[in-house]
Amino acid sequence: MCDNNSCGSARPNMKPVYPKADKYPEFAKLVDEEKSQVDRRVFTDEEVYQAELKQIFARAWLFLAHDSQIPNPGDFIRTSMGEDDIIVVRQRDKSVGAFINSCPHRGNRVCHVDSGKKSRGFICNYHGWSFGIDGGLRGTDGGVYDKDETFEKSEIGLPPVAQVQSYKGLIFGAFDPEAPSLEEFLGDFTFYLDIMLDNDQGGTEFIGGAIKSEISCNWKFPAENFVGDILHASWTHQSGAQAILGGGVDLGKRYDELAFQASIYGHGIESNLDKVGNTRTLGYPDLVDYVFDLSEKAKDRLGEVRARAIGAVSSSNVFPNFSFLPGQNTFRVWHPRGPDKIELVVWTIVNKNAPDHIKEQYRKGVMMTFSPGGVFEMDDGENWEYSTKVNEGYMTRQQPLHYALGVGTLDEERDLPGIVHKGSKNEANQRLFYSRWAEFMKYDNWDDLQNSKVTLPQNKKQQWSD
Amino acid sequence: MSMIEICDSSQIIEGEITKITVDGIPPIAVSRYEGGIFVFPDTCPHADESLSEGWVEDGRIICGVHFAEFEFETGEVHNRPIGCPNLTFFKCEDRNGKVFAILNEEKTDV
Repeated sequence: MCDNNSCGSARPNMKPVYPKADKYPEFAKLVDEEKSQVDRRVFTDEEVYQAELKQIFARAWLFLAHDSQIPNPGDFIRTSMGEDDIIVVRQRDKSVGAFINSCPHRGNRVCHVDSGKKSRGFICNYHGWSFGIDGGLRGTDGGVYDKDETFEKSEIGLPPVAQVQSYKGLIFGAFDPEAPSLEEFLGDFTFYLDIMLDNDQGGTEFIGGAIKSEISCNWKFPAENFVGDILHASWTHQSGAQAILGGGVDLGKRYDELAFQASIYGHGIESNLDKVGNTRTLGYPDLVDYVFDLSEKAKDRLGEVRARAIGAVSSSNVFPNFSFLPGQNTFRVWHPRGPDKIELVVWTIVNKNAPDHIKEQYRKGVMMTFSPGGVFEMDDGENWEYSTKVNEGYMTRQQPLHYALGVGTLDEERDLPGIVHKGSKNEANQRLFYSRWAEFMKYDNWDDLQNSKVTLPQNKKQQWSD
Repeated sequence: MSMIEICDSSQIIEGEITKITVDGIPPIAVSRYEGGIFVFPDTCPHADESLSEGWVEDGRIICGVHFAEFEFETGEVHNRPIGCPNLTFFKCEDRNGKVFAILNEEKTDV
């Protein structure tokens, strides 16, 4: 830059920048699909982590908020997409806008609080640049720029998240202007999301605010845990389960017949379809009665299989980092904060039509089980922290990790959407999660990403698109 | 300065701020609150910003840039950025559907 009169003749170009993705074939090879093993550098390497922010978090659809959190114009919450700080705000026309929380002048954060109602806009503390709820620059501290004829306010604003769309109350954003629609990104996985989002005609809401915490682990450990690791429950959570249930984790007598894992585009769910196994762990008999009743009523909406899944022993992750537990009614995001740290944000979801005392029991139940002080989350956090930390050892991180449980259990007969495997105690969904991860590293375009190994077999695609 | 005609009173909508341009003078803004008509400078008293790009909320004119709030009737400022004075209103009246105002004289008799 220079400051004599011959320079500065071109005005600043303040258009938002959406960089193209790249190709990292060498990182993709860290996932060895042949041998069902994963190289530990995916959890520790700073370059791999930076590639994740670029290839995954700057491209994929990421969860932003539930409609019920921002019902009215000006209502907003602050969240993250990867490590980017984001303001999500309801517009006057009821649509939702999402913007990078950084002033285009010196980059300072313009919104410091977690959430608010009826915001008029966001003013930067540094030089008073003021932005409307539509992200546009409204004005500055007063007087100075208005006398500068080259200053074009209308071209400056908080950089918008390129796409914002919602599915049954869940609002997602994508930085990539070329990303396919949210429904295409979710694919047939919406069949399983509906277990939680559409088991009652009144729809859902988040209640009771958010619980935030930090865990010193790589973001993929919790994501792969929720995508399909019920195996850990009967060991990690055995004592917690005994305290609440008076017995260990039990996957039921009909396990062989009912339990499954399903995966599509790296999103995954595992369930034993026992109706109330997860709900029971919240410790409130009223909730168990409520779910038995709901399951019966939901048969018309969801069919037999999904009606059994509402409260069953199960877990799920929407690629890359948005997880939920049917039955325990918690949704959560594992925001990456470096290769060895996450910020976890936890919400409780309920049916809007549920009685107040049921909603309150879900809220308390989630706090007692899946919050930083909760019986089960404490168990998990320690495991994930040491799974991450041990790799500081140079020799340790040269050693491969084993992901081979359930190889050869593909179930081509089961009448369910996605790539289905037999049994919920399986690592099939985890393998497909890492396959998806590798595809995001390998491919620089959505055409390859949406027609890849983790997509549905062609015959199933036709069957479930009807 | 004598009273000049600035607009039809039907143009002035309850709870909305409309910008009016009259040749030879700075832009002015008009609004209606609880039936009464209010005429004031469109440029906010703090910076070179347009009050008609703001809105009305709970009996106050809100500047859309720094969110200063000016009370109808008194012009008293609330939630102001440093250095922002009160808003002044011009004397005005509705004569058979036409709004007239004295644009160099503040409405001090309220």
